[in-house]
Amino acid sequence: MRSDIPGNDKIKVRLFAILREMVGESEITITVPADITVNHLNSEILKKYPQLKSFSNKFVTSVNCKVTTGDTIITSKDEIALLPPVSGG
Amino acid sequence: MISITNNRLSLQEIMFELEDNSAGALSIFIGNVRNQGRSGNVSEIYYEAYSEMAEEKMREIENEAQTKWGIKKLVAIHRIGNLKVGETSIIIGVSSEHRHEAFEACKYIINNVKTRVPIWKKEISEESQKWASGILLE
Repeated sequence: MRSDIPGNDKIKVRLFAILREMVGESEITITVPADITVNHLNSEILKKYPQLKSFSNKFVTSVNCKVTTGDTIITSKDEIALLPPVSGG
Repeated sequence: MISITNNRLSLQEIMFELEDNSAGALSIFIGNVRNQGRSGNVSEIYYEAYSEMAEEKMREIENEAQTKWGIKKLVAIHRIGNLKVGETSIIIGVSSEHRHEAFEACKYIINNVKTRVPIWKKEISEESQKWASGILLE
């Protein structure tokens, strides 16, 4: 899939903690059709990074610093992050 | 004052921030790295944060505490990076007119920071490194 095809978006996704270590990058770029949902993006991420499959129910997705549901539509202007279970304090 | 920082935390600076002549009570919670974790001995902890979102969530929690208890001033600072045993990872400080509000707000804030703010810790020992199990954000 080429990123310069009209209608495609390059989505940047930030990774944290164990997810960042599993992928070896703190930010990845996924090329997807325009106006896709969070669920669709996550399935593309798991295709590209199969090492995350065992964590698929152990992270949530934030869009612009808000945890979202899978049917949320995203664009390349949004800030997306995958967040594993938190343990601060 | 809400902050995520790489710097060592200073209780003196936090006390200064909390000064308020109309506050008769000041409650402070200090969280330190201890030498035992869920996976055994710990020599240090690595803390990582999604800082922009973490500060936003901490402000949200601050506003809730403000609404519930009408506190005067609040400081919540979380340190990130590698911290050795005995070092301070978090300080929550609340000043209010009376002690009840200060105690309750301080407890509410630390409990919510631990469950609602995107910060992660990895327990490190000579034998192993392990991310602490935690709570999925909602």
